[in-house]
Amino acid sequence: MGALDAVEWEVCSLEPVRNPAAERMLRSTFGAVPPSARYFLDCRWVTGAYAALATLPVHQLSPDLTEMIALVVSQDNSCRYCYTATRATMKILGFPEARIRRLEENFLGADLSPADTAALAFARCVSRATPLACAADAQPLLAAGYSISAAKEVVVFAANSVFFNRLSTMPALPPHEMDFADRWWARLLRPLIASRMRTPRARQSVSLQPEQREGVFAEFVNALDGLSTAPRLRAVLDDAWQPSTLSQRLKGLVFAVVARGITCTPAEREATRLLVAEGMAIGEVEQALAHLSGPAVDPLEQSVLTLARESIWYRPAQLQHHARAVRAQCTREQFVEVIALTALANAVCRLSVAVDLARQ
Amino acid sequence: MGPAELSIGVGALLVAAAIAVALRVGADRRRLRRHLDGATAELQRLQTSFQHFAPTAVVEGIVAGGGSAEAARREVTVLFGDLVGFTHLSERLDPEVLVTVLNGYFARMSRAIGEHRGHVAKFIGDGLMALFGAIEPNPWQANDAVHAALAMQHALAAYNAELADRGLPTLQLGIGIHRGIAIAGVIGSHALVEFTVIGRTVNLASRVERLTRELPADILITAAVREGLDPRFTLDELPAQSVRGVADPVVTYAVRGFRSS
Repeated sequence: MGALDAVEWEVCSLEPVRNPAAERMLRSTFGAVPPSARYFLDCRWVTGAYAALATLPVHQLSPDLTEMIALVVSQDNSCRYCYTATRATMKILGFPEARIRRLEENFLGADLSPADTAALAFARCVSRATPLACAADAQPLLAAGYSISAAKEVVVFAANSVFFNRLSTMPALPPHEMDFADRWWARLLRPLIASRMRTPRARQSVSLQPEQREGVFAEFVNALDGLSTAPRLRAVLDDAWQPSTLSQRLKGLVFAVVARGITCTPAEREATRLLVAEGMAIGEVEQALAHLSGPAVDPLEQSVLTLARESIWYRPAQLQHHARAVRAQCTREQFVEVIALTALANAVCRLSVAVDLARQ
Repeated sequence: MGPAELSIGVGALLVAAAIAVALRVGADRRRLRRHLDGATAELQRLQTSFQHFAPTAVVEGIVAGGGSAEAARREVTVLFGDLVGFTHLSERLDPEVLVTVLNGYFARMSRAIGEHRGHVAKFIGDGLMALFGAIEPNPWQANDAVHAALAMQHALAAYNAELADRGLPTLQLGIGIHRGIAIAGVIGSHALVEFTVIGRTVNLASRVERLTRELPADILITAAVREGLDPRFTLDELPAQSVRGVADPVVTYAVRGFRSS
């Protein structure tokens, strides 16, 4: 497994839970409950996010490329859980071990087409966000023959990996449970499992309905119009913003902190708008963002904001350490929501390059 | 033994030899693959480790081509730390003890800096230079640097208690912090390169650290650092001082602590 073996990884801070209704819903979507989803079944919108985002239909990219994006981004993020899961998926789907190794070692030197190499480099740039990717970063991809829409799909798959990487890293989900590709039952049932795992092809362009163009972070969702991800993301964001175990204010603060850290101005503007709508004064928002604390920020919020900040360019062990600090201050349901919301904020902010591309 | 038996014997021998060669080649290949895997994993581990000391793109440039021309102006916060009176101490202590004491000190300071999102760019004798915001954009770099400075102080107090228990002299640390634009890049020759920052910001941070010898403070920050600082830090404004290379006297603030509640 290479470099990720050396990545420090804490003991998992969550136990899997049972929720028959949520399990039924996931089974009807995937044929089985994804192992990682079992840790989040007690939060309705997170279960919904799994159903919506775990297997995104692909329009223009090759399904193989989407797997490679997941591998490269997970490796770059040092998410041992997603990396192991993606590696196992690729083996099940028939990627030769040697090809996976070449990708891991250096995808720039792997036997890929120039277009695929450009796509992987762009996906990594989107995920890294040092600095936040912009339309200019997509130029090599466009020069290699990708359309704007295909480039946006690369952004979507990179951001989706960013979401699942953080969702798995913060609670330190145990990577070994995803190391299943060489188990006897996986070898025996490989064709069947592969048919379930393969990234589905989208049959047609999906336009957002007028009512789907409104809502929190609409600019980011609308930038993806035409892709099947757009209505799914709209639904996930709307669900996340329903009243729940976390205050609307904390939700806004998490997005605002990630946006500030990653210098995503449109996301910070939208999060600030939501916070003001919740009754925070602009000065209070600014103080909370400048110092991750302030008179208007309670101790749990302060802890969550520190976690949100750490999640941007994370080091797994430190992030897991901060996550444990949050876990000690809140209920399990709140904790699940905090990490999912933090992961979602990271993914949404990284979609800002799609907003840039949509303007072109 | 007839010719037919002889040819069967020779054939069997050849087949056995071919199998042996194939097995040997297979074993060699597996051994080679293991060595390659080991080397690759080691390289990846090194690359991952180095990403804590330089931006990922810079590390990748070095790994891929042996160098990196990437340089950029960045807003960074620079922290200089230096032991007060160390020269005198180094003349009194046995060299081995001195190196042990110094290594213990550097280990603790590096940890305190790393825990606050900084990285040690270089050790300079008994001093060090740490950077905040050099590897990734960091809007909280001023808070991080001052928190790191306080953590360094606490770590040094604990270390001094250990040194005193062992009958060794204790250490005193002066820290200067300044924030501004600096040029960040890989600098050096083929024999020795480092990712570092250069420019007036760095020079002023160093000069401010030297002021801790003259002013009643162990941690000094400039107005540029104070500007972005959490108001819960307790600061004392100190009289402006002339420093070499800066036209106007420089106002500094002594950091006294942090009110966590």
